[in-house]
Amino acid sequence: MWRYLIRRLNLFIATSIVMMAVLFFATGMFPVEKGYALTGIQFPTEEQQVQTVEDYKLDKNQFSQFYAYVTQRLSGNLGISVNSQQDVAEELSAVLPASFELSLFAGCIAVFFGVPLGVLASLSSSKPVQRSILAITLTGYSIPVFWLGLTLALWFGVQLEWLPISGQINLLYEIEPVTRIMLIDTLLSESSYSMSAFKDALLHIILPAVTLAVLPFTVVIRITRQAMVTVMTQTYIRAAEARGLSTYRILIRHALPNALIPVLKAFGLMLGSFASYGIIVEVIFAWPGVGSWLINAIYQRDYTVIQAGILSVSLLIIFLSIMIELLHTTINPINRKELYAD
Amino acid sequence: MPIKKLYQEEQIDSPLGQLWHAFASNPFAVAGLWAVIFLLLLVILGPLLAPFQPELQNPDAILLPPSWDQAGHVSHFLGTDDLGRDLFSRILHGVRLTFGMSLIVVVCALVVGFIIGSLSGMMRGLKSSILGHLLDALLSIPSLLLAILVVAVTGPGLSNVFWAVGIALTPQFVRAIHQAVHEELQKEYVTAAKLDGASQIQIFWYVIMPNVWDVVIIQTTIAISVAILDIAALGFLNLGAQAPSSEWGSMIYQGLSSLLIAPWTITIPGLAILFTVLSINLVGDGLRSALAPIRN
Repeated sequence: MWRYLIRRLNLFIATSIVMMAVLFFATGMFPVEKGYALTGIQFPTEEQQVQTVEDYKLDKNQFSQFYAYVTQRLSGNLGISVNSQQDVAEELSAVLPASFELSLFAGCIAVFFGVPLGVLASLSSSKPVQRSILAITLTGYSIPVFWLGLTLALWFGVQLEWLPISGQINLLYEIEPVTRIMLIDTLLSESSYSMSAFKDALLHIILPAVTLAVLPFTVVIRITRQAMVTVMTQTYIRAAEARGLSTYRILIRHALPNALIPVLKAFGLMLGSFASYGIIVEVIFAWPGVGSWLINAIYQRDYTVIQAGILSVSLLIIFLSIMIELLHTTINPINRKELYAD
Repeated sequence: MPIKKLYQEEQIDSPLGQLWHAFASNPFAVAGLWAVIFLLLLVILGPLLAPFQPELQNPDAILLPPSWDQAGHVSHFLGTDDLGRDLFSRILHGVRLTFGMSLIVVVCALVVGFIIGSLSGMMRGLKSSILGHLLDALLSIPSLLLAILVVAVTGPGLSNVFWAVGIALTPQFVRAIHQAVHEELQKEYVTAAKLDGASQIQIFWYVIMPNVWDVVIIQTTIAISVAILDIAALGFLNLGAQAPSSEWGSMIYQGLSSLLIAPWTITIPGLAILFTVLSINLVGDGLRSALAPIRN
């Protein structure tokens, strides 16, 4: 196990370094002066100029520049935003929790509805049910998320007026940011309207979360169904049936845990496209997360924000996918055996 | 008098024939295949069929609803947008931009990914893992972020979308082909061929590749649908194709301003994207289940 852990750690470090090298290379190619692209200070004073050259080793060769870049970025110096003149690291810490909230909520929706539906789909042997499930999941795969978001907003937000379509919460509520996750903050706040604020925040999250959940939902249904079909044909299930256990018990206790392993793996593989979808959903529903922050930055050519956003999201994805792989190996020892065999 | 069969002759199809039979037994997949053929024809013939120029503005017919609506007119079959441009013509011109371009991007990514993937798959040890994992870093950057990076360097435009989507797709091909080649290389029939004195190139092309093509095909269908969605998403975010363009995602972006009074300006391009991606996915799904019994 230790050997495995160290190999994964190596992989994490190597991929992160390559990723940062790509980013460093791209930063050098931004159509502005390098010091400006790195710090976000457009008209530096004499002292700032000296400081920038000192910090990023701009007078040295490319390798020491890259080394300086990595040390600066990892120590939390992300420069200042060109437009707001605020510290980028602070802005990042303000928008990151909102994205977490949205994607966690969407992921939970996908799992809570997808897994039972997948199990049900695997149980039915009738052709029409299977065909319709195939049709639904394929449509879910194929639907362009920006169009889906707009259509849902148009139906449920504008025509039926059931749900709000923009932002995290009604601006009339003044909620003090503690965790910056709105659903928790509204509950933590001590004001008299905290309950109604919570309800309002909940209503605000439904549409974006449902839109974002469509992709993982369909993936979860498909993978669960496939895995359940494979697991149910195995001999240990027949043994459990022979012992006279109820179907429900066999499904929940014996089959489902094994069927969920591929679902976990699929989640790891899906992270990249999930993040892309998240960015688009945030833009459509004006959700104040990393995605809309980043897209605004590119419209305004805010180079430091672009770098910080890409760096943080990519590092998070690398980290999460390796964590999921670790978890996958921990709960699935067969995988480990293959690894030692080579 | 009909000719009777005297002998019970059993005919076994070639692998390709078996694949076709398995594929054709699924009506959805065949429907998808017809749709893809139809779209391919539109890529070639689309601009010839279009009744109007895509950028031609008709000031007398601004925001005309589709022809099946009471207020619509058949001369503009799918209605017009806020500048009086005919949506039907724009959709037909857009096939080339969205679907045609996705095909070009995927072919380029496939060629590069195939070369790197098969090289790294055939190698062993450190070299293989450097080549194989080098692009994993790119795999972890979502395609949209990569596109943002490309746009930050070069500015928006359709040609930059080509680079962004291509760079995002290549690592997926590299990884899939690397894994497939590597897996096959461990098997005993390869050892047998090696004992027969086959060279590396012979082993690669004549021994391993026949078992890897299905991975390549499946990966290609997935990549095409991803590429279409990415190109359209970039168009929608106004980072890809720019305003007068009739790229489908960009059409939705241009329809946003009149969304509330003329929802068809976004519904129709959206349905076009959905139809295209769905038919590609139907074909891909049919191929996957047709290939599955052969693989196992």
